[in-house]
Amino acid sequence: MEGISYQRFPKIRIREMKDDYLKFDLTDTDASMANALRRVMIAEVPTIAIDLVEIEVNSSVLNDEFIAHRLGLIPLTSDFAMGMRFSRDCDSCDGDGQCEYCSVEFHLNVRCDSDQTLDVTSADLRSTDPHVVPVDVAARALSTDPASFDSDQRGIIIVKLRRGQELRLRAIARKGIGKDHAKWSPAATVTFMYEPEIHINEDLMETLTLEEKRNWVESSPTKVFDIDPNTQQVMVVDPEAYTYDEEVIKKAEAMGKPGLVEIYAKEDSFIFTVESTGAIKASQLVINAIEVLRQKLDAVRMQDAEADFKEFSEHMGV
Amino acid sequence: MAPMEKPDYSALRELVHPHIDSFDYFLDEGLEKAVSSIRPVELSDPVSGSKLRISFGKPYLNAPMKEGRLKSSLYPHQCREAGLSYKGEFKVELNLQFDNKAVIRDHISFGHLPIMLRSKLCHLRGASPEELIFHKEEATEMGGYFICNGLERLARLLIVPKRNYPIGMVRKSFRGRGDGYTSKGVVIRCVREDQSSVTIKLYYLQNGSARIGFWIRGREVLLPVGIILKALIDTNDHEIFLSLTSCYNEKYQRQKGAVGTQLAGERAQIILDEVRALSLLTRSQCLEHIGEFFQPAIYGFETEAHSVVAEAVLRDYIFVHLANNYDKFNLLIFMLQKLFALVDQTAAPDNPDALQNQEVLLPGHLITLYVKEKLEEWLHKSIRDIKDEMSKNPAEFEFHKLDAKKISRNSQSIGRAVESMIRTGKVATRSTLDLPQKDGMTIQAERLNFLRFISHFCAVHRGAAFAKMRTTSVRKLLPESWGFLCPVHTPDGEPCGLLNHMASSCRVTSFYDSDGKIKDFLKIRMTILTVLVGMGMASSLPKLEQTGPPEVLHVLLDGCVVGSISSSNIEDAVGHLRRLKLSASSGFPADLEVGHVPLSLGGAYPGLYLFTSPSRFVRPVRNIYQLSDVNHCVELIGPFEQAFMEIKCPDGGEGGRREGFPATHEEIHPTGILSVVANLTPWSDHNQSPRNMYQCQMAKQTMGFSAQAIGKRADVKLYHLQTPQSPIVRTSSYSKYCIDEFPTGTNAIVAVLAYTGYDMEDAMILNKSSVERGLCRGQIYQTETVDLTKKHDKSTRVVEIFARSSDRKMSSSIDSDGLPYVGQKVQPNDPYYSSYNTLTSDIKPTNMKSSEPAIIDFVSVDGTNLKNGIQKANIRFRRPRNPVIGDKFSSRHGQKGVCSQLWPDIDMPFSAITGMRPDLIINPHAFPSRMTIGMLLESVAAKGGCLKGQFMDATPFSNSVNKADDNTSFESSSLVDELGPMLTSYGFNYHGVEVLYSGVFGIEMTCEIFIGPVYYQRLRHMVSDKFQVRSTGVVDQVTRQPIGGRKRGGGIRFGEMERDSLLAHGAAYLLHDRLHSSSDFHIAEVCSICGSLLTTSTLQPQKRIVREIRGLPPAKAPKTFTCLNCRSSKGIETVAMPYVFRYLAAELASMNIRMDLRLSNQQEK
Repeated sequence: MEGISYQRFPKIRIREMKDDYLKFDLTDTDASMANALRRVMIAEVPTIAIDLVEIEVNSSVLNDEFIAHRLGLIPLTSDFAMGMRFSRDCDSCDGDGQCEYCSVEFHLNVRCDSDQTLDVTSADLRSTDPHVVPVDVAARALSTDPASFDSDQRGIIIVKLRRGQELRLRAIARKGIGKDHAKWSPAATVTFMYEPEIHINEDLMETLTLEEKRNWVESSPTKVFDIDPNTQQVMVVDPEAYTYDEEVIKKAEAMGKPGLVEIYAKEDSFIFTVESTGAIKASQLVINAIEVLRQKLDAVRMQDAEADFKEFSEHMGV
Repeated sequence: MAPMEKPDYSALRELVHPHIDSFDYFLDEGLEKAVSSIRPVELSDPVSGSKLRISFGKPYLNAPMKEGRLKSSLYPHQCREAGLSYKGEFKVELNLQFDNKAVIRDHISFGHLPIMLRSKLCHLRGASPEELIFHKEEATEMGGYFICNGLERLARLLIVPKRNYPIGMVRKSFRGRGDGYTSKGVVIRCVREDQSSVTIKLYYLQNGSARIGFWIRGREVLLPVGIILKALIDTNDHEIFLSLTSCYNEKYQRQKGAVGTQLAGERAQIILDEVRALSLLTRSQCLEHIGEFFQPAIYGFETEAHSVVAEAVLRDYIFVHLANNYDKFNLLIFMLQKLFALVDQTAAPDNPDALQNQEVLLPGHLITLYVKEKLEEWLHKSIRDIKDEMSKNPAEFEFHKLDAKKISRNSQSIGRAVESMIRTGKVATRSTLDLPQKDGMTIQAERLNFLRFISHFCAVHRGAAFAKMRTTSVRKLLPESWGFLCPVHTPDGEPCGLLNHMASSCRVTSFYDSDGKIKDFLKIRMTILTVLVGMGMASSLPKLEQTGPPEVLHVLLDGCVVGSISSSNIEDAVGHLRRLKLSASSGFPADLEVGHVPLSLGGAYPGLYLFTSPSRFVRPVRNIYQLSDVNHCVELIGPFEQAFMEIKCPDGGEGGRREGFPATHEEIHPTGILSVVANLTPWSDHNQSPRNMYQCQMAKQTMGFSAQAIGKRADVKLYHLQTPQSPIVRTSSYSKYCIDEFPTGTNAIVAVLAYTGYDMEDAMILNKSSVERGLCRGQIYQTETVDLTKKHDKSTRVVEIFARSSDRKMSSSIDSDGLPYVGQKVQPNDPYYSSYNTLTSDIKPTNMKSSEPAIIDFVSVDGTNLKNGIQKANIRFRRPRNPVIGDKFSSRHGQKGVCSQLWPDIDMPFSAITGMRPDLIINPHAFPSRMTIGMLLESVAAKGGCLKGQFMDATPFSNSVNKADDNTSFESSSLVDELGPMLTSYGFNYHGVEVLYSGVFGIEMTCEIFIGPVYYQRLRHMVSDKFQVRSTGVVDQVTRQPIGGRKRGGGIRFGEMERDSLLAHGAAYLLHDRLHSSSDFHIAEVCSICGSLLTTSTLQPQKRIVREIRGLPPAKAPKTFTCLNCRSSKGIETVAMPYVFRYLAAELASMNIRMDLRLSNQQEK
């Protein structure tokens, strides 16, 4: 198709990076791109989660479905999930989803023999693949300082057992995406905000008394503005704290000074916050998301554009 | 882990106190009193002339025991599991005495009486939470109900007229009593010590006289009041005249409080003349007259003298609460004076629908009088049987060989009768027992959720008779019920206003004082009397000339006219009585009702009415005018006295009270007027009132934790929420009543916006990911009891036991014992148990009937009778109920909605700051017309609470209490001004709104969205239990139309109104499709010659033809029809018609009506 090229070259600038937290700027692109990235991170990046539970013995107080549901929600380390097969696409196991290429088996065998309540936790899950373990187990194994983990916190509690109660089961973890079930979602929170652009009308601001300035500054629930203790001038301390609630603008209008401040959202600049469940690192989550997005675009490109267009125009009745 | 603080269940236990206390009294004293009040019967032998006197001695009731020789205790849990009744053996001493010889005592078993849980005979009485758990009960188990055949049933608290208080009434139905009767009367419900009652009605006649009426053996007898007056005591006409006219004094005419008029004298004259006209002059003549009249009507006095009969009538039917005839005389005079005042309109009638004149019928009392009635009935019947036997062959009958065994045939029927009364709620008695109704005395204590369970015990019903009444006046919320009955907690619809619930602070007086000892009413009355006399009351008993209001006020103590007190010092007397009531050492009961009806112009009949009786409503208020001791200032007041008291509400206002009437009492807390369930609505004082009513309804039908011991229960159906939460915004009642033990909902993040259109008309959108993470997940537990002994008739003696066949196929679903595997999923029409018939020796599996798969949760077998093998088992199924489209949810503010979509998480709006996506979206239109401001406040407060990490208190009316404490703390009383700054301090918007971004487009939404956590309840109405779909299926045998009913796989009726709407649209094809093609489409052969559609018949195709073309598949010969009537097939035509039409023709033909069809091909013009 002919036309102007809208091609742009988005940039990412990483601001803060931890294992399970990432904050970065995405610039030179638009909301559709940013939102697509967000949606893919939540719902399309694959992880591994327990999907099938065979319960042999369950004499605990929780019923089988409840335990199966709880097991499914335990995040498993999924660094290799991108390379793994979906069990529905797996050739080597006839689709029953129990081969080494598409699944990981877990075993749990706990019985309480003491008078104290026994917590069955994710640490009791025995994995057949050392790469796929509950995230808290992995974190403890990696941690250099074992003391940093409280001995009370033995992991994610699955069920509590009393004397004589037993839980024995086999679980199969598979690859999946958050769209199918929330347990496969690697993201705890993914959000982005438009970077705000704040212009204070300095002349108008000077007409305010210090008291008025202070009132105006305090009208924002978040700390966006502050008063310079020396010059007593209002300045923007943290534009990103602005929540677009327009409280300051309303306040200015209420004070009879409309136009005291002008705030715009930059159309092409986004600040992303990504929190991971731990299944994959937050940074990896972004990379995987871009990868998934690219695969999707490839899928579109691979199709016969010509035929596609023909079909489209037929559809439109042209 | 820190040791958990032990929860305090005392407030919860308080709720069932009326039930347990009354039953305890039945065990402690009531039963004994009832049995001892049964009159001994005498039997005489016509041959020898010797006499046998039969009387009841001491009754014995035992704790529930297991059957069999090993006498081990039977526990409630075992009863529920095995479908038994929790009952103890009931024995009574039967005393036989031949001709004044020595008494022969014998213990006779009268079957088993149901035992109330946690009553004095229950094994769980006083059990600690740990012990309760050991016995497989809830830790909170409160008791108060019975177990009959494994079902939990409790007696309904019924409203009855206040005992021993004469109520002035105007009723049109009184006119129907006979000629000359007016609509006016005074009615008193007199209650004996054994809680049985007789209602006496005093009717006013047009001629100025009065008739006394009461029911005896299902028939009302009416007597001239003069006869009773004369028969009661030795008196003369002059005395009666003076007594009747004493309340009139010319001096006070038309003054405040003057109830008597000069007509009193004339009426007294008429009453006396009436008696004289019957030439009854002396007491003995009157007694003779009454005796003669009643001899045939009452039982056991066939041989007695008339005067004895009359004495018995006066004792057993006239003012049975009083023992002394002088007291009865005085009361009758008082009632006549009240009646005359009512007629002359110097006193207003009492409202029988007002709580002021009502009390409650308690389960223990009901059982007491029912047992008494049944024992009496049984005694009379067995005597009758013996007499019959004697008269059959008097020669052979050995009178002296009669013993208890012979007499006590069929004695087990008493236990059976009481048990059946508890089980069905039906009172089987010929006399009315003076009960308001015969059906629906008990109800099932459903454990749908905990709130429903506890509100059963607080429910007070007005009586089944009122449900059918056309008038709505009985349903009105009257000011008299303030503080006693909850104004909010009543269902809407049919039982509205009739089924009320006691307010949380309301209690019912019992026979027990605060130390748990039985009150000695005689002693109490004596104490009160001496105090009254000390305060200047002129005692009425040594007969003194009495005057009436306004000079003096009559003093009635439990329906006995004890004297009169000068109206000038009545105020001081009342004050003194109240003071004594508060002090523990005075010997006054704390729940004494001091009903001072002041003098008024045409108001209620004045007097001082004191009540010490049980089963009255009482509630605590603070006495503020005698603040001698802060600890002892909480006074219990009743609805009778409340109407004449000055009680201040703590909102600081005087409530329109003028200076002349300073408040003497003060409400303790405004939430005391609300019931337990109504108290759980946060900030209900900010909601429109009907919404709070709806919430009370819906709170009782939410899925929640119905029981913590769910694994030990065998209820037919139990709802269970998988992951419930404690609400962030909660009222003080949540902790008081330990509601957190049985939570009913989840704190969901609720956004209020119109998004996607799927939230129109109270629909709501759930976040699919939230549901997948476990939001509002739940299960239904259903227990099926399989009893193989009941499968066959007992007479056939076929024994069937659980067993599995060796068939390989069976072993996958049925265990070796013939019962299913626990944890196994059973599909519809799959076998889930199999049984072995010992007679036919075949093994037959039974398939599951329901239309959806279920999981076997638990299997238990009844091992009481293992002689033949296992024959009885409980199989508990578990059906998952995860939220789906069509399930119903509600907030705690009467805002219910149906889930319309499970919306993908990524498409939900999100907050740029926190990244939060709502769990649930509701439409903003839910608010303007419903005005549930409480829900908005809850959202804001919960948001603040989450940020702060605190539970938020949302007790209604708390700001009015705060204000009383300190006036300075808050300038603005708005709650928003308290909650808003809290949000701002955490960087959120003051009003709880947030900027949200569209999840689909990633762009900012045009307006800010109100979002915050709201406690949501999942209601039990779920599509999975309700959907009804059908394409083809079973049709009715007769009409060939599809059948109805969801269980049978029927369709939904396309009824007349639906038909009308299609007609109105002119949608002819749709109409034809629905009513014909998709229903009973039928092609009929009609003979156009004779016009009949019944006489056509198929001609048998000739078989010969088929034989000729052998080898080829026989071609189906076209059916040929012939008309049997015309003997021709010329005119046969096929016509499509509904099959019912043919049926109609056949029905008509059976009535000799011929249907004639005229067929034509021409279109009519």
